[in-house]
Amino acid sequence: MTSMISHAQALQALRPGADAPMRADGLAVNDLLERFHPDYGAKARVSLRIGANAGAPCHPALAGLLESNALIDDLDLAGAEPLATDVLVIGGGGAGAAAAVTAAMRGARVIIATKLRIGDSNTVMAEGGIQAAVGADDSLQRHYEDTLRGGHNEGDRALIAQMVSDAPEVIRWLIDLGMAFDLAEDKALGSTLLRKKAGGTTASRILCHRDFTGLEMMRVLREAVELQRGIEQLNRCPAVELLSHDDGSCAGAILYDLERRSFVLVRARAVVLATGGSGRLHLQGFPTSNHYGATADGLVLAYRLGARMCDLDSFQYHPTGVAHPRHLAGGLISESARSAGAHLLNGLGERFVDELKPRDVVAAAILRECAEGRGIARDGQTGVFLDARALVAADPDILETRLVSLGHLAAKCGLDPRQEPFLVYPTLHYQNGGVMIDGDGATSVPGLLCAGEVSGGIHGRNRLMGNALLDIISFGRRAGTRAAESLGQRQAGRGGINHVHRWRRALAQAELPADVRAPLLYPSYGNFHLRRTAAA
Amino acid sequence: MSETVHLTIDGREIAADPTVSILQAYAQSGAELTANVGCMGQGVCGSCRCMVRKDGERQVSTLLACETRVEPGMQVSFIDYFLPAHVHHYDLKDLHDSWGMLDQIRAVFPEAEHCRHCSGCDRACPKGLPVQSGVAFSVAGDIAAAAAVFDQCVMCNLCTLACPENIRPNHLGLFVRRSVAALTLRPIDLMRRLREVASGEMSVNVTLPRVETATAAPRLAAPAQDR
Repeated sequence: MTSMISHAQALQALRPGADAPMRADGLAVNDLLERFHPDYGAKARVSLRIGANAGAPCHPALAGLLESNALIDDLDLAGAEPLATDVLVIGGGGAGAAAAVTAAMRGARVIIATKLRIGDSNTVMAEGGIQAAVGADDSLQRHYEDTLRGGHNEGDRALIAQMVSDAPEVIRWLIDLGMAFDLAEDKALGSTLLRKKAGGTTASRILCHRDFTGLEMMRVLREAVELQRGIEQLNRCPAVELLSHDDGSCAGAILYDLERRSFVLVRARAVVLATGGSGRLHLQGFPTSNHYGATADGLVLAYRLGARMCDLDSFQYHPTGVAHPRHLAGGLISESARSAGAHLLNGLGERFVDELKPRDVVAAAILRECAEGRGIARDGQTGVFLDARALVAADPDILETRLVSLGHLAAKCGLDPRQEPFLVYPTLHYQNGGVMIDGDGATSVPGLLCAGEVSGGIHGRNRLMGNALLDIISFGRRAGTRAAESLGQRQAGRGGINHVHRWRRALAQAELPADVRAPLLYPSYGNFHLRRTAAA
Repeated sequence: MSETVHLTIDGREIAADPTVSILQAYAQSGAELTANVGCMGQGVCGSCRCMVRKDGERQVSTLLACETRVEPGMQVSFIDYFLPAHVHHYDLKDLHDSWGMLDQIRAVFPEAEHCRHCSGCDRACPKGLPVQSGVAFSVAGDIAAAAAVFDQCVMCNLCTLACPENIRPNHLGLFVRRSVAALTLRPIDLMRRLREVASGEMSVNVTLPRVETATAAPRLAAPAQDR
């Protein structure tokens, strides 16, 4: 067990008022990541044995799900209620909502199927903001290069270029839908947008609505979906398998209706998979900032149908998850706090990293402090301090204006940010990789599109703050447009699960177990078992 | 660890650690959790709505289960979501004339003028927003004040459930806020950048930075042989 500095001792070490000194023994960035970031260690990857990415690296927990058996059989299809539509959107977060609204506006009949409820997603929990290069001192090129560099040059250059070029129009689209953004000056016309700094960026580029930008975005998008003609919502209907044509293209999906406890078979000309990420897998034992529904379902479904993936061994650990109190562990403290000037301090009262480095670097630096005995222990929880005291002292209104969520969180943690720093520890936050897509969200499987966190290739091996909210709207709209274009192209044939039969043969040939079944649909603590409840 | 707390959630007798939220206690009890759950503690998704009666109190309050700590003797019932029978339909595109805003509010939300000031919405709001005043501001046309009231609304719909006049206050508030943004938010820096992008004056050169000058990525450990 690594030694830690007690919370009381660490508080003693805080210097009142004065600027904290910076440790001088910083490692080179690559050394720091290789030694302390969870993605780079020996437990971080295995080789996939079957499927489109056979031989490619994948996180072991995710590999177990990708190389699993289907939840359903032909028998389940026989009793399923049949539905047909032009576009089936799976997932009710920002990407799914943007795709559904866009497709419906173009005249497509849309069904949006959600596991929980429209809007229940990581989108609503996003706090910091959305990147768009609108400043006079900024450019699309800088946004592009920052994104590429932040992802260690592993991102797809064409996808990044398209996304950053979309960004100004994305903001306009959101404003036209009724989303508010903070302004730099309080005047009706001629004002500029308030722009915040993000870790790893060369210009202030984060646009926001206070520090609950995702809530503002999602409540507007949810209302837009609910009021849009041509969209039917199927809430509490998780997708349990995709449907395929004999040529291997996507024909729709099989949903499980939790209210009726029965299967629904939705045939569609195009399917947009917008199921989000996988934080609730709690990889390597980390807590997560993610929504309850983030269980990698979309990756499992797409992989079984043959979709190619990338960077399945790359995840984002957000530097500042709550570490204490324990019942809030993993909850997010927005990068907005560091963007506004909050400092990270170890148990000796020292700063140890430039707080506005990219997230993987800052997270690795925190893990290093804890591993080398400079972490802080409190009631069995460990972490470092996030100190906003000077920030609040300099701007006493900030907790009511720009950092509203931070103020609420402090109250829940039972601390006064004017007096005492937060105890923070990295929290599993984002799935950097995912299903490979082209600029329209099309995957290697005809008829199957992806948008949002389920897709990969944009953020390389590390995402910058504010690029997720941009990603979901940029690619959500494009996928919705492309899906609506497939109107009338292919006859929606009946569709079946021959791909599942092929998959089972591949499982058997690779001597993989047939009793591991996925998608998970809910985390283990959701106590959900499809068969038990379906039979009951 | 500290002593155990006993409470009742949806009819189940549950023993829980006193530091956890109602939602965590429910999940830890082994109950199936496939609804009324979302952000699990951040308090922004509005999914885990519940009625809570504290031990020895007659008053029932509506709260979010992820933000409320368990207490001994609490009685809790989750409030399931249903798609509402009555929805106020509007298309923001019809709102191009901001002179017509007052009439638009009346046309889309005619019930708002019928508010009987029962304060049911105020009591229902788990965020403590002064919802009823937001309704009054909307009717009076004090758009900025109405927008401010609903700024932190998480759209849990508890005020909608509570309103005897079917006003759907949170949706009225969102309508007002969306109208303000769609009709008045015209940031000049965004407008300039949109023009530069549309004209081709600004674009991205994907050949930069050159691959050879890019910094080397950190090295990954080899895949593990066993799982």
